[in-house]
Amino acid sequence: MSFFNVIRWITWKDLISEFRNRENFSSMLFFALIVVLIFSFSFSMDQTSGREQIPGIIWVAFTFTGMIGLGKSFAAELHNDCLDSLQFSPAQKGAVFIGKFLANLLFLLFVELLLFPMFVLLFNLEVLEKLPTILVIFLGGSVGLSAVGTLFSAMTVQIRAREVMLPILLLPLAVPLIIGGVEATAGVLRGDPFLLYAHWIRLLFAFDVIFLVVSFWAFEWILDT
Amino acid sequence: MIKQMRRYEGWFGVAAGLCIVSGLYFGLVGSPADYYQGEVVRIMYVHVPLAYTAMLAYGALFSCSLWYLWKRDLIVDNMCQAAAGIGAFFTAVALITGSIWAKPTWNTWWAWDARLVSFAILLLILIGYLMLRTFTEEKERAARYAAVLAIVGGIDLPIIKFSVEWWRTLHQPLSISTRGLSIAKPMGIPLVFMIVGFSFLFFYMLAVRTQMLYLTHLLEAKKGRLLGEVHL
Amino acid sequence: MMAIRVFQVSKSYRYFQALREISFEVPPGSCYTLFGPNGAGKTTLLTILATLQRPSSGTIEILGHDGVKAREKIRPALFYVAHGSYLYDELDARENLRFALALYGKRVADRELKEALDRVGIGAFSDLRTRFYSAGMKKRLAVAKGILIRPKVLLLDEPYSSLDESGMAMVNDAIRELIDGGTAVFMATHNRTRSAEVANQAGLLRKGKLCPLGLEQLSGAHVIF
Repeated sequence: MSFFNVIRWITWKDLISEFRNRENFSSMLFFALIVVLIFSFSFSMDQTSGREQIPGIIWVAFTFTGMIGLGKSFAAELHNDCLDSLQFSPAQKGAVFIGKFLANLLFLLFVELLLFPMFVLLFNLEVLEKLPTILVIFLGGSVGLSAVGTLFSAMTVQIRAREVMLPILLLPLAVPLIIGGVEATAGVLRGDPFLLYAHWIRLLFAFDVIFLVVSFWAFEWILDT
Repeated sequence: MIKQMRRYEGWFGVAAGLCIVSGLYFGLVGSPADYYQGEVVRIMYVHVPLAYTAMLAYGALFSCSLWYLWKRDLIVDNMCQAAAGIGAFFTAVALITGSIWAKPTWNTWWAWDARLVSFAILLLILIGYLMLRTFTEEKERAARYAAVLAIVGGIDLPIIKFSVEWWRTLHQPLSISTRGLSIAKPMGIPLVFMIVGFSFLFFYMLAVRTQMLYLTHLLEAKKGRLLGEVHL
Repeated sequence: MMAIRVFQVSKSYRYFQALREISFEVPPGSCYTLFGPNGAGKTTLLTILATLQRPSSGTIEILGHDGVKAREKIRPALFYVAHGSYLYDELDARENLRFALALYGKRVADRELKEALDRVGIGAFSDLRTRFYSAGMKKRLAVAKGILIRPKVLLLDEPYSSLDESGMAMVNDAIRELIDGGTAVFMATHNRTRSAEVANQAGLLRKGKLCPLGLEQLSGAHVIF
């Protein structure tokens, strides 16, 4: 089963490289903190109008932080021409995609789980009972973002203006994720009954399934001539 | 296939001209002004066809991108690039005319209406497509990447439309828009003429621009061969 | 059956034609050496043989399979050693080797790994992360990969660069062993003396055009180009 073997190796390689050299992780974490602080200044957080922006601030922080990690995912492969070696090896491109996708997803979830307690403290959120729902929402948004993000990271890594092209291409396509994530999170934080925001969660997971399949299919065209 | 294009483009051009001229006549002179909006509603005869044609352009881009990935034909890739450029232009003008229509009607240049927002995102995707083509170094790679972007975008557009619609109905019931209501007969006919006319116009522009791009690539290839002789 | 058969292959980029109607054949169990001035198109030809790029025109057959349409059948038996070392900085030598082997669906015992590393002369550094490796050590590790993967077609771009005398002798040793095992080796190099030790055929690539060279021309002292 070399297909699953390849996936395991690639995911392991990405995670352990990050673990042994924590530069990406720390830069992502600090970037997220700065984003949150700046937004907090922009929307005076002590008033109720400010509090309405909290789900938006959370998801903007996640999205932009995620984009940093996604960009670096394939930039690391450019070093020493490793991307070429992935291309000419017999490893199935779909396996390479899943390996990269899983590594990006796990990494993004890890950063989100570190940031979330900070949001709870900063904004004085009351979420203990609703924690499982919130985690499901984060998962729904992160899977979609990682799926399309992995695809476009591979695409933009070999073109000019790579750092700016990834957000330019990815953000319009990720609009359903951002809308769904923000609305669902807002629903939970407001204490709305589940049925009122359940369709947003369904939107997130529908997006996830569709674009996991599409990105898996399209990845071969990106990595190979 | 280029030969077929050259043969038929003339007919498209003429058909486009006829439809648009007659549509404009009926629309601007022959039909009555709207009860609520007055003369301003006549922008609809340009705005709505532009919007439909922009979507037609993306449909062409989507199908040609699939076709390119299947057959790897250079001319098909030129069609993709042509469709994207024309689509971006039509989308931008649709947004501008929509804005011009909105100001006297709702007293605002921009409204967070589901359709306007969806169109703005469509424009962003098309501009991103053109930027991707510009920034990618090799021609073959650019064609491949752009095709993937067009296909992913095409699958995403309905999802974007739904999510934006749900978002708008949630946050703000918009002031009444006459665009959704059934249109009176005298207004409907010129509108159909204009839509058909703009569609013909799109195909005409597509044929012309594709040939332009193809000739540009031919020229570069010949230059490359000549340069290669002198190089080193 | 020829291991590599190239017929009237051309490659043009946007403003530049790199290869013009190249034709040659390499039988299995032999070595073809390609010379040429800088910028002649050697690396372009190698990347096309390695299935990393498509030719603009002409046909390529590797191990009987079409070099464009049947890449999936060629890649399990093909390995390409180029300028980039295909190494992941945060992994040590053994992990890098196991990763490369996993891409080829191969698994080897620890003992074999150690033997290969000792043979190429970096056994003492096998636990060191490859970010600390010198260029010569990275090259030796690439040779170790080639030995363990045992490809039927081996493509080499400047295999002797960065290596000292013992390193270059080691490369030729490995090439001879692979040739004896039936591998077809195609190498691009500037080093005439070293490649003359293992070459069965030679060619000169100049301004995109290929002309065959006699082996006796390799050992002469005069300048070929």
